[in-house]
Amino acid sequence: MNQLTHPAPAFDALAPTATLDAMQTRFALRVTARLSERSQDLGADVTERLRFARERALERARATRSAEAAPKQGVTRAGALIMGLAGSGWWFKAAAVLPALALVAGLVLIQRWQDNAQVSVAAEVDTALLSDDLPPKAYSDAGFAEFLKTPDE
Amino acid sequence: MASDKELSDFLKSVDKRAFKRTLYAVRDEDAALDIVQDTMIRLSEKYADRPAAELPLLFQRILSNATMDWFRRQKVRNAVVRNFSDFESAGSDGDFDILETLEALGGSLASESTADTVSRAQILLAIEAQVAQLPGRQREAFLLRYWEELDVAETAAAMGCSEGSVKTHCSRAVHALSTALKAKGISL
Repeated sequence: MNQLTHPAPAFDALAPTATLDAMQTRFALRVTARLSERSQDLGADVTERLRFARERALERARATRSAEAAPKQGVTRAGALIMGLAGSGWWFKAAAVLPALALVAGLVLIQRWQDNAQVSVAAEVDTALLSDDLPPKAYSDAGFAEFLKTPDE
Repeated sequence: MASDKELSDFLKSVDKRAFKRTLYAVRDEDAALDIVQDTMIRLSEKYADRPAAELPLLFQRILSNATMDWFRRQKVRNAVVRNFSDFESAGSDGDFDILETLEALGGSLASESTADTVSRAQILLAIEAQVAQLPGRQREAFLLRYWEELDVAETAAAMGCSEGSVKTHCSRAVHALSTALKAKGISL
């Protein structure tokens, strides 16, 4: 016996809104019931592809969950090893900042050492110039420069 | 957080309807399957940590976006006038092949008489064709609201429009379907 034999709803524009809504909903649900019935006959290839898609999606979900869980545990263990205080957020943050602080301090020390080395070299040159018998002005004299270039005989 | 079983059950419960809905929109079986698969994977990768109750709305949103993305890609790829022959093959009754339909139905309806089976198949196919011929937004609102059983607010959220628009789309879709089916002599 055919089940599709209910009387069609007549959408009367003058019907009260609630009644109209109810009639629309009833009609819509009848239509979607037929669509559901039709969607059960999709064919083996489509059903198989949908099953494959579901399995791939579930695999991805498992992979995502395990990827999210793994680093969390690793960090906690590393923190416990470094600080000996597993679970302490403040110590853990401090431990993460320490290498960066050490790097900055090292760079500042290297910069200072280089500045000091440059100053001491300049001081040595100045001392040598000032303590020499030859006055510093002589080096800017063109005749003296020419004399220096002249080969010894 | 939704467990593996909850996620699996949810996907199983929604996959056929999702495929059909997408097929009505894109009118290409392979594309529809790809879109549904992408949607499932996106849901699983990004929202597997959400409670099971949130999955239906998230799934519908992702599916709508994935379908829109497909249309955008097609527009860029083709950049030509749409091929209207696709509409005819998917939407009209002229291509209805009763032998194919009977094959697809298999032995599940063996107890029905042949005449009943044929009549039933024709009616289901005609209803499906009318739904497929609805304007895109009307069809989306109608199917989300009554097939996926989302409420008006959820449908509006999934479609990215106001609740008033959802009501209007649904009402117009119901009237269009009612008129079209009545014209074909189909009563539900």
